[in-house]
Amino acid sequence: MIQQVENPILEIHDLTVSYDQSPVLWNVDLSLPEGKLIGILGPNGAGKSTLIKAIMGLVQASGGYVKIFNKDLEQVRNRISYVPQRESVDWNFPASVLDVVLMGTYGKLGLFKRPGKKEKELAHNCLEKVGMNAFASRQISELSGGQQQRVFIARALAQEADLYLMDEPFAGVDMATETAIFQLLQEMSKEGKTIVVVHHDIHSAMSYFEWIIMLNLHLVASGPKQEVVSEELLRKTYGGKLNLLTKVTDLIRKKEFNPLKN
Amino acid sequence: MEDFLYFFSFQDSSILFIVMGITLLGIGSAYVGTFSFLDNKALLGDAISHAVLPGICLGFILAGEKNPFFIVGGAIFSGALATFLSSWLKENTKLSEDSIIAVILSVFFGFGIVLLTMIQKTGNPEMAGLNQFIFGNAIGILEEDLWVYGSLSLLIILTLSLLLKEFSLLVFNAEYGKAIGFPMKGIRVVFNILMILSVVIGIQAIGVVLMAALLITPGAAARFWTDRLGTLLILAALFAIISGIVGTYISFIIPQMPTGPWVVVSLSTLALISFLFAPKKGVLFRFISRQSYLKKTHKEHVLKSLYKAMEEQKSGLQIQELLSMYPVHKTETLKSIKTLNKTNQLTVKEGFIELNESGKKEAKRIVRLHRLWELYLNEYMNIAPDHVHDSAEKLEHLITPELEELLDNRLNYPKLDPHQENIPRDHDDH
Repeated sequence: MIQQVENPILEIHDLTVSYDQSPVLWNVDLSLPEGKLIGILGPNGAGKSTLIKAIMGLVQASGGYVKIFNKDLEQVRNRISYVPQRESVDWNFPASVLDVVLMGTYGKLGLFKRPGKKEKELAHNCLEKVGMNAFASRQISELSGGQQQRVFIARALAQEADLYLMDEPFAGVDMATETAIFQLLQEMSKEGKTIVVVHHDIHSAMSYFEWIIMLNLHLVASGPKQEVVSEELLRKTYGGKLNLLTKVTDLIRKKEFNPLKN
Repeated sequence: MEDFLYFFSFQDSSILFIVMGITLLGIGSAYVGTFSFLDNKALLGDAISHAVLPGICLGFILAGEKNPFFIVGGAIFSGALATFLSSWLKENTKLSEDSIIAVILSVFFGFGIVLLTMIQKTGNPEMAGLNQFIFGNAIGILEEDLWVYGSLSLLIILTLSLLLKEFSLLVFNAEYGKAIGFPMKGIRVVFNILMILSVVIGIQAIGVVLMAALLITPGAAARFWTDRLGTLLILAALFAIISGIVGTYISFIIPQMPTGPWVVVSLSTLALISFLFAPKKGVLFRFISRQSYLKKTHKEHVLKSLYKAMEEQKSGLQIQELLSMYPVHKTETLKSIKTLNKTNQLTVKEGFIELNESGKKEAKRIVRLHRLWELYLNEYMNIAPDHVHDSAEKLEHLITPELEELLDNRLNYPKLDPHQENIPRDHDDH
């Protein structure tokens, strides 16, 4: 069940991505509607994070292309905001919460310019939205997992984008944070922002998202929640990896070069 | 003393000049080094500093004399080659980063020593000073050389100040930088160039072997004192300047004494002081806070035992009885009794101890925390009643009033613990 949409905000065409020449995403082809809260679901190692990294151009695709707002990524980068996984950075870095949120303003500032009063005000506003303004001058190493995640989301808000791509924002956070983040995402989507979230828990996904993408190395489904969520599709997504696909992957890995590279 | 005054009064303009040079060099290398330390790439600096030696020798051979431009040019060239090779090897082989660095360091340095020996065999009278590049000699630097190193240092400091936010992004979250459209690869290249330059500026004053210490140690030592990047950079620069000047001074008073080793000695002293005495992260501070925590636990144990005696309808305990409860900690227990007596939490009369009002309140609090925690373990974590005591013995000293409130709330203000003992409250009778 892959439902394509008219005037998509994001269009992915036959995207194939491989790491060290073993393919982790096969021919993903989908389009997403504007202003929706969208979840990417799939088991561990299904290529969920890889998909949004490929959208952001952080990993190179070995085939296919991505169009955002019907344009190339480089033309619309400042309208997209990316939230990496919390564990991907060293939280011992000597910086305050405000310093990290200010990074969200760097894109508009450009190189060399330092953030000024206007940017600081914006950063404080974004911290307020995630309920962390009281922690603005706190050293980041002193934060709990949930607080770290809120800081990352505040940083993404500071980009004032139209499309948000979030990698596991609910992973390892406390219940209060999860609810607070979800409410914030809902408000944003009401304001017309499109939010794509990598998520691991099927149960909460059912109540959180309007549109669901199911991945398991290939695209299993993409469409409105009511139409996508069926036992058969869930089994296809979570019922183990496709045996044949894994064998092909092994075959490719054993080559001394990458046969998929153009 | 005379030497000291002569040196530090800067009446000799050449000394003033050298000290200014060392100061700039210190700031430059400490700035760059702090970033590479934060980036967990401390070893790369060591590899680069050893790898510039063959370039220095080649520069010398080409120029036929100690021409600063040829030598600096050669050093930059071989430093760049080493950096490029190490990232190329990392991308195109399966070798781990530390083996790559070990290979680069030893191959380049070995080749450099070969060249150095060859130059010495030629009997060129100019070669006398070339040995200085191994361990450095700040006092021997000529004024014209100093201009080259000084302006390079200035270039490093300016570039870094201009790109402070970009380099922070590179170290903290390069992927995010790429996502917002910053040219992170280019920024990495600029940083690597700064890294090479920061080694090059030190080759004559500090020497190639020990330059890595001036890069990394200031940042590592300063990290003990602060969690703020700005303060960290300033402190690191300060440490580098101090040790640079100390090294230069010793080279000045003892002829033929190389500067590099003394810079390292004074830097290590500063690092050791930081490691021992820095607030919060220093060893001494952690030792003291552990000691005061232990003292608190001993005091609380005394109070608790007295309270339990009261629960058994005794008015108090004999000192001997109390000591026999903690046979391993007799001295600590005696000390605790003394302090508690001083703070008026208990009274000792002819070897018999009784709790006072304030002591009783505190004792109740500890027993309450102990039993609340036992109940929580039993009810919420399904741990059997006879397995909960040890954990509660530790947690009773740690639980804060906020946590106590939360526990009480969760457990619905219970009256009894899993052993059917009373959970004491302030409004109780006894």
